[in-house]
Amino acid sequence: MNNKRLGLSLLITMQMLLPLVLTGCWDSVELNRRAIVSGVGIDRGPSDDQKYILSFQVIIAEEISGEQTRSSSPVALYSGSGRTMFEALANASRQTARFLSLGHVRVVVISEEFAREGIKDMLDVLERESDMRLTSLVFISKDQPASEVMSTMTVFSKIPANDLVEKLDTTSKQFGYNYKMEVDDVIRGIQVRGGGPVINGVFRTGGRERGDSNDNLKTITPDTILRISRLAVFKDDKLKGWLEGKTAFGTVLLLNKLKEFPVVIKKDNGYLAFNVYQSQVSVDAEAKDPEHPVIIIKITQQAALKESPNSLDLTSPEVLEKLSEQLTMEARSQIREAIAAARKLESDYIGFGEAVKRENPHGWKKVKDHWEDIFAACEIKIDADTVIRHTDMRGNSFQVY
Amino acid sequence: MDTKGQWKRSAKAAHTDQTVSQTGRQPGLSFELSESLAGIQSELGNSPDLIIRQIQLGGPLRIQAAAVHLSGLADTSAVNQFVIGSLLGNMEGLFMDSEEGGIDEGRLPAMILNRALEIGEAEIKEEWKEMMLAVLSGDTVILLDGYATSILCATRGGEWRSVGEPSSQLVVRGPKDGFVESVATNISLIRRRIKSPKLHLEYMKIGSETQTLVALMYVKDIAGEDLISEVRERLGKIAMNEVLESGYIEELIQDKTFTPFPTIYNTERPDVAAGNLLEGRVVIIVDGTPFVLILPAVFTQFFQSAEDYSQRFDIAILMRVVRYMSFIVLILGPSVYISLTTYHYEMIPTTLLINLLAQRENVPFPALVEALLMEGAFEILREAGVRMPRVIGQTVSVVGALILGSAVVEAGIITPIMVIVVALTGIASFAIPAYNMSIAGRLIRFAFLLLAGMFGFYGVILGLIVMVAHMNSLRSFGVPYLSPFVPLSVKGQKDTILRLPLWLMTPRKSPQQMRAELPEFMRLTTGNEELLAPLIGKAGRPPETAEGDQPDEQ
Repeated sequence: MNNKRLGLSLLITMQMLLPLVLTGCWDSVELNRRAIVSGVGIDRGPSDDQKYILSFQVIIAEEISGEQTRSSSPVALYSGSGRTMFEALANASRQTARFLSLGHVRVVVISEEFAREGIKDMLDVLERESDMRLTSLVFISKDQPASEVMSTMTVFSKIPANDLVEKLDTTSKQFGYNYKMEVDDVIRGIQVRGGGPVINGVFRTGGRERGDSNDNLKTITPDTILRISRLAVFKDDKLKGWLEGKTAFGTVLLLNKLKEFPVVIKKDNGYLAFNVYQSQVSVDAEAKDPEHPVIIIKITQQAALKESPNSLDLTSPEVLEKLSEQLTMEARSQIREAIAAARKLESDYIGFGEAVKRENPHGWKKVKDHWEDIFAACEIKIDADTVIRHTDMRGNSFQVY
Repeated sequence: MDTKGQWKRSAKAAHTDQTVSQTGRQPGLSFELSESLAGIQSELGNSPDLIIRQIQLGGPLRIQAAAVHLSGLADTSAVNQFVIGSLLGNMEGLFMDSEEGGIDEGRLPAMILNRALEIGEAEIKEEWKEMMLAVLSGDTVILLDGYATSILCATRGGEWRSVGEPSSQLVVRGPKDGFVESVATNISLIRRRIKSPKLHLEYMKIGSETQTLVALMYVKDIAGEDLISEVRERLGKIAMNEVLESGYIEELIQDKTFTPFPTIYNTERPDVAAGNLLEGRVVIIVDGTPFVLILPAVFTQFFQSAEDYSQRFDIAILMRVVRYMSFIVLILGPSVYISLTTYHYEMIPTTLLINLLAQRENVPFPALVEALLMEGAFEILREAGVRMPRVIGQTVSVVGALILGSAVVEAGIITPIMVIVVALTGIASFAIPAYNMSIAGRLIRFAFLLLAGMFGFYGVILGLIVMVAHMNSLRSFGVPYLSPFVPLSVKGQKDTILRLPLWLMTPRKSPQQMRAELPEFMRLTTGNEELLAPLIGKAGRPPETAEGDQPDEQ
């Protein structure tokens, strides 16, 4: 009897287990059936039938770390066009031998042309697609088609998309106003009423003829270099203009994303250079009357003196005090210029509206529909303070004696 | 009790028994020495190692006597010096104070026992079976002509492996002695460590043919009374012909048969046995094997090593964490690799993914097949390594490492990363101190491998849930297998993954205490007694009589 029960339970177990085998291996795809996409370029096509032209930068792994390389390009660019992005993807995958896999897309480059038209719809796709990650970095290719950026051979990192990621990382940590702007940051930026996202610009310099071949790397000075520069600022989802230099620094200061950046001030007949290695900005609003808010910007900075051609007595507190005052002035002027630029572009991408909303949520509801007018005229108070912490490895320069 | 009349009666009964034995029934002790000897010889099939030494006793009686023993099993010098020497010595002393008329014939065996034998352990038995068992155990039997009785002299000896370092469960620091095949030696090794009168010992004989001596040890008052009686009862129910190793006992008394996880701990180390005794566990020593059973056993116990208590506590914690991690690597290593590469490629860092892609470029098999091939090859290698004569062992490892490791990669059959994964799981399996837990992990690994191949991480997680649920259902003599984690006992954590300093750990919690704290419904004892019914006789029958060859006598 026990044997019977044992047999019965075995039978039931088998009947429960065997259907599992029937399902097969679900959606398994072996690695060598995949084409890993490292970057996507999105261009505006000439007609509505070809609205989207997607360029997929596909990694050829064997070229990068395989044993039998053919000394060909480490990535390949496949393009497809369509009325929708999904159609363009399907179109592009007809050219590839393997499944285009979007799980490792690290860079999305959108052409300036498309950005001026509006990027809402494509961001919806980037967010919806299950394979894509929201931590991909977004760039706007300035004056150039995105596919050109995607097809530039780079010196470091054989995969151009990775090169772009690393470049952004380096600049954002050292001297740049560019900072990491990911897909979800962009989407959040679009949702800000009256404002828009700020996206890094990228373009390639130099001759375009040899940029997409190994030849680009054969010379010591590469013909073509991918450059991350300028900030594309948006109103809602449409590109409004480009910021650079002082304006860009001021903008990123206001967004509190700046880590380290150089500041140069003129003193007598020479220039002094400082490294601002910490800056903390807070944007608050006094908004009891939401129609006439006062924006209060507090900024504290810490700087280190890097270069001093003048024969200044750097050991004297008075001298440093004066220098730090000059630095404060510089910061004020950066911020003023940034605000002026934003007002000119009529886009509150620097987040004043958010400050008002935080302070007076009910009042914000009343003014949010005509925030643009208030933004253009509201009063601004800047409270800046800079401390020079040290003068690096030396006190006075040897030139002083 | 030893009256003459009774002797005669039993002797007569035995006599008729023996005459019938010629026609196939059991032989018995006879008044005729030659008949008894013939009976012994015929029952042992005229075995040449049966030594019968015939003697004529000194003194007035001149009675024929015989000393019977099996060479090899008995200690020859003891037989010569103390048994035969005593019998051949001056027998006059025997009868010095006997009554007039000389000798009370009936008392002769008792008088020999009392006055002549220079042997510490000796007794008089009339039962034929007991006498035969004594001979087969290595004792010497003295038979006297005219008496249907035997004197059993303990002369067990012969060759045993001497106490040496255990072959498994090695430690860097700690005692180096290990159990041997002799019960008596093993008991002495434990008793030397616990010099307490509370250390109790019980003997049973299990196995109708092998009559294997099984010793049950526990520390009274620390081990729970219900645990001891449960163990006694389960041991009593065993009805097997042979018990050659403690594994036989383990399989028959464990709570659940259909599980890969061991629920009874075994050890070759006396210090481990002693430590567990003091924690309230029961130790079962089986004659003929150095592996001693310890029960009840919970999951965490299989990750403890004797060395944890010899090393500093922080080091011990590190070592334990490493062991748990290696168990996880062992069961999940290849399946995680398969899930990652075939289902969840987005979880691999891009740079690593590129390397994997390049490696997989020219490999013909899917990752699952690759893993099965490699794990299979590794299991073959390991099995070959274990069974190989030690001289050839080196060759196996060289051939295995070289051919399978590098040539397979060079031939483009397996990716290098797969070799790394398999090697890692292989090494991980050796990091688990208990061999039976490590082979359990090796088995489970294959189930996870298939699940990963079919469903990716989804399958692996489902498998883990099933595995943990199954482990929760396990009991070892009433103690939940995952305690003190499930049910959670904060005090019980002192000696699990952690090993707190000794002064913090006392008093330790015995399994009985853990069990007593359980809610009533969780205190189930056994799970599969019904399944084992064919092997288990009627409950409550003493093991000596639970033999298959004479069921009608009960």
